[in-house]
Amino acid sequence: MIGTRSTQYKELPFSIIGSVVFLSCIGLIVLNSISQHQEGGFLANPFNKQLLVLIPAICLSLFIVIIPRYTIHKYSYPLYFIGIVIVLLPFFGSLHANTFRWLNLGLPFKIQPSEFAKVFTTIALARYLSDHTIQMKKFSSIIIPIGFVLIPSLIVMKQPDLGTAIVMLVPVLPMLYWSGARPFYLFLLLAPIFSMLTAFQTLSFTIWAFVLGAVIIGARQTLAMSVIFFFGNIFLGLISPFAWNSLTPYQQSRIISFLNPEKDPLGVAYQVIQSKTAIGSGGVLGKGWGAGTQTHLKFLPVQESDFILSVIGEEMGFVMIAIVLLVVGYLITRILKRAFLSKDRFSSLALIGIGSILLAHVFVNTAMTVGLIPVKGLPFPFISAGGSFLISSYLMVGLVINLSVNYAD
Amino acid sequence: MLKADNIASVRQYFLAVGITICLIFILIARFFQLQILDYDQYSKKANTNRIRKVTTSAPRGLILDRNGQILVDNLPTYILNAVPGELPNKEETFALISKTLGVKPSSLLKNYKKYYRGRFIPARLAKDLTFSQISRLEENILNLEGVYYQQFPERYFPSKVRASHILGYVKEVDKDIRQSLNNPADYEFGDIIGWSGLEKSYEQYLRGSHGIQFYQVDAFGREVGYVDDFPPLDPEPGKNIITTIDINIQYSLENLMDGKRGVVIVGIPETGEILGVVSKPDFSPDLFTGRIREQDWNNVLYDPNKPLVNRFNQGLYPPGSIVKMITEAILLDNQDFDPHALLKCDGSYQYGDRVFGCWYIHGHGNVDLTSAITQSCDIYFYKTIQYYALDKLANYFRLFGFGDVTGIDIEREYKGTIPTTKYMNERYGRSGWSKGALLNFCIGQGEILVTPIQVFNYINILATRGEANGPYLVFPNQKNDSKDLTLDSEVWDRIVFDMKQVVMHANGTGKNADPLVGGVDVFGKTGTAENPHGDDHAWFIGWMNYEGQKFSTVILLENAGSGGAVAAPIAKKVFNNILFDLKNTNSISMK
Repeated sequence: MIGTRSTQYKELPFSIIGSVVFLSCIGLIVLNSISQHQEGGFLANPFNKQLLVLIPAICLSLFIVIIPRYTIHKYSYPLYFIGIVIVLLPFFGSLHANTFRWLNLGLPFKIQPSEFAKVFTTIALARYLSDHTIQMKKFSSIIIPIGFVLIPSLIVMKQPDLGTAIVMLVPVLPMLYWSGARPFYLFLLLAPIFSMLTAFQTLSFTIWAFVLGAVIIGARQTLAMSVIFFFGNIFLGLISPFAWNSLTPYQQSRIISFLNPEKDPLGVAYQVIQSKTAIGSGGVLGKGWGAGTQTHLKFLPVQESDFILSVIGEEMGFVMIAIVLLVVGYLITRILKRAFLSKDRFSSLALIGIGSILLAHVFVNTAMTVGLIPVKGLPFPFISAGGSFLISSYLMVGLVINLSVNYAD
Repeated sequence: MLKADNIASVRQYFLAVGITICLIFILIARFFQLQILDYDQYSKKANTNRIRKVTTSAPRGLILDRNGQILVDNLPTYILNAVPGELPNKEETFALISKTLGVKPSSLLKNYKKYYRGRFIPARLAKDLTFSQISRLEENILNLEGVYYQQFPERYFPSKVRASHILGYVKEVDKDIRQSLNNPADYEFGDIIGWSGLEKSYEQYLRGSHGIQFYQVDAFGREVGYVDDFPPLDPEPGKNIITTIDINIQYSLENLMDGKRGVVIVGIPETGEILGVVSKPDFSPDLFTGRIREQDWNNVLYDPNKPLVNRFNQGLYPPGSIVKMITEAILLDNQDFDPHALLKCDGSYQYGDRVFGCWYIHGHGNVDLTSAITQSCDIYFYKTIQYYALDKLANYFRLFGFGDVTGIDIEREYKGTIPTTKYMNERYGRSGWSKGALLNFCIGQGEILVTPIQVFNYINILATRGEANGPYLVFPNQKNDSKDLTLDSEVWDRIVFDMKQVVMHANGTGKNADPLVGGVDVFGKTGTAENPHGDDHAWFIGWMNYEGQKFSTVILLENAGSGGAVAAPIAKKVFNNILFDLKNTNSISMK
């Protein structure tokens, strides 16, 4: 292993490193624009804060790169349990902004443990799936891995932090698929959720029923199983509106606010309208650095983290947005390629998991800023300002670099 | 470990890459739709329907005297703002403004730079504009794109009194001030904030809350109406505060103290209400409203007499003989002490290796306790106090409110110094001082330092036989000081009797304080405090009893000489003024 340093160096994924550096630079440029008229002390300025957080983030990343891969493999389960413990800890502390998301250690900054737990969970899942050469063709064999991910996700959902909980859950499907589970089973897992969500509108429910039927027929199940799956889902869909309506308005609002904790007094719709106006008015080339009216009139909410893409859209236009998204797409496909080429299964699965996390972040954040999905507080990797999030993103970069180099052993 | 081989197939890889590319493509397509297909729509929305957030300042609450007369009021002035991003041509606009208003373009530019916080945040160009200036501006408003004016209430002082140290002053919030605040979010640049005196102590009452309005402005920066989604929030004016000050008393005290250096306090002993308080030299309250010349400001700032210092709660003075009633209380608290015993005063007294003198170098002859107080004989107290411990003395000083803040509602009150054994050991070392220090302390000299407001509290305690409330300036006041001062009523009787002798007796040092009006009893004590800064400080403390109502006073004149000769006559005038007020206007109503 030691003798192959030079080959390892050549094998370093420069395309991935380059993409991360590019995205971080874009992030700093945008944050600098936002910071122009920031009031308050040195750390109230998101640009300064980002620069400061980048130092430990990069150090952590370098540290992860140089530790042996078997160490990561060896400590993946203990890390998983540490992950569960640290997402539970905030519940023993005090509320911050009405949530238990942050851990206050008396330091000048607060830590968001779920950001780290999501990485630990993914690594542990990769180990579980690679250690157990289970018969993935069986439906029952995918239950344990799902339970594996569900425990920390439910805790995080209770914090409440639905966005991070979703991101934590997402990798399990591609990783199961990667380790050979039948796509049909994965579809069956998701089907009830779609059945319930689409049931509130006739057209969407009709389309869904056709898709459901087509997939079940295509999967060539026994007639009895097919009928149970199909009508089970349709029945679930049909009763959901009634179940919903039988709830008292108070219970309904409880559920809505649970699903949408970021709901602010001005209304979520306001945020999306402002974001879309910012992006749309940017046009092809944007209004120029520091000249975004929506941004600098503070109409854009949480512009330095969740809505940072709207600032890019407004000030740098469609061209820069397209470049950023293409670079992100390139970064993720490079990670997938490394996963495909990887010699051992653990690394391959871990890379798939990390790729899924990044894609989930990118998709949820971007789709939210352009009004495709409801507002969920999720930042954009490497660009959004953040403390714990930035550090965990660089932790993932370190893991990607470490795991994507193929040893000669 | 790591033995399991990667079994991913090409099909799986292609599907994963395919999904990624699909999702990215969906996002790019959405941006294409928003930024290229719908560009016109959103661009119009962002540019022609710009929303301008305008905050309006709330007027501060008024400060009133006890009868509702206004001490501090608000003057409606106008300020002129410009939104940098909406100015088509800065130089031209500024030139037009300066021509219309008659202000220098350089001052506009200076303000513009000072208040600039961003292209879209209004920057202040000018303040204290009058209505006529604004009217002229209004005629040209169509040529002044990006410029608009707002009402801005400034502080002003309509009454005849100055009361500068009580009322205090306000400051304009700038970057430094904002950073020093605990609640910076509540203030914007250019707001006014109470910075001293009552303006500061009662900032939370006096300041209102901002009004916020969202205007839709058209492409020319003209306001076309409110934004439906954001109903305007009206400014909420601050609450008024009613002070204990009586404007007539305050005015008469200011006149009495004109040209002098020192402090006068007048109040009601039972409640602690302060009817008037003057710290001289003072400054004009207009000094901080921003409408004065720099020269005047420098005169105040560098005046060697320090007019900015609030002497009544921050001036530290040796009290001199006015604290002899504390010594008297210690002596009388001892059952074995005989107040009628005669002790000889021959002008000096040797204690240990030091000789302590009496202020009357020829000696008072044979004196008992009452005549020692009446004539303020020092030797009597040297001889009697020497058997007591220093800490016992310090303890009694504390019981009478010295060595700690009185809690008056004016900030940064000093505690003063009451030396204890510990204090003396720390300051001079164990062997660095002798018990002779005790003899100095019992007549209010040496290391003892007090503030005039503590002395006011002390005279109130004496006047009420220990039942006084702590001093305060603003109603209502729920403060209830339960002092642990329990003296026998015979002790109080004697102290009060002796204090009456000081003023009423022919030999009394305070006889100049007697207003010589029938039916008025005056009680008091003089003090002539030696100090390292020059001539003695003259003190008179006392109270007047008129038809069951008590009025206490403290007079301190810095480096003015003998208390009986200088301060007591002032007290006489103070009492006469109160009596005049009671008989004529009766404005000092009991609240």
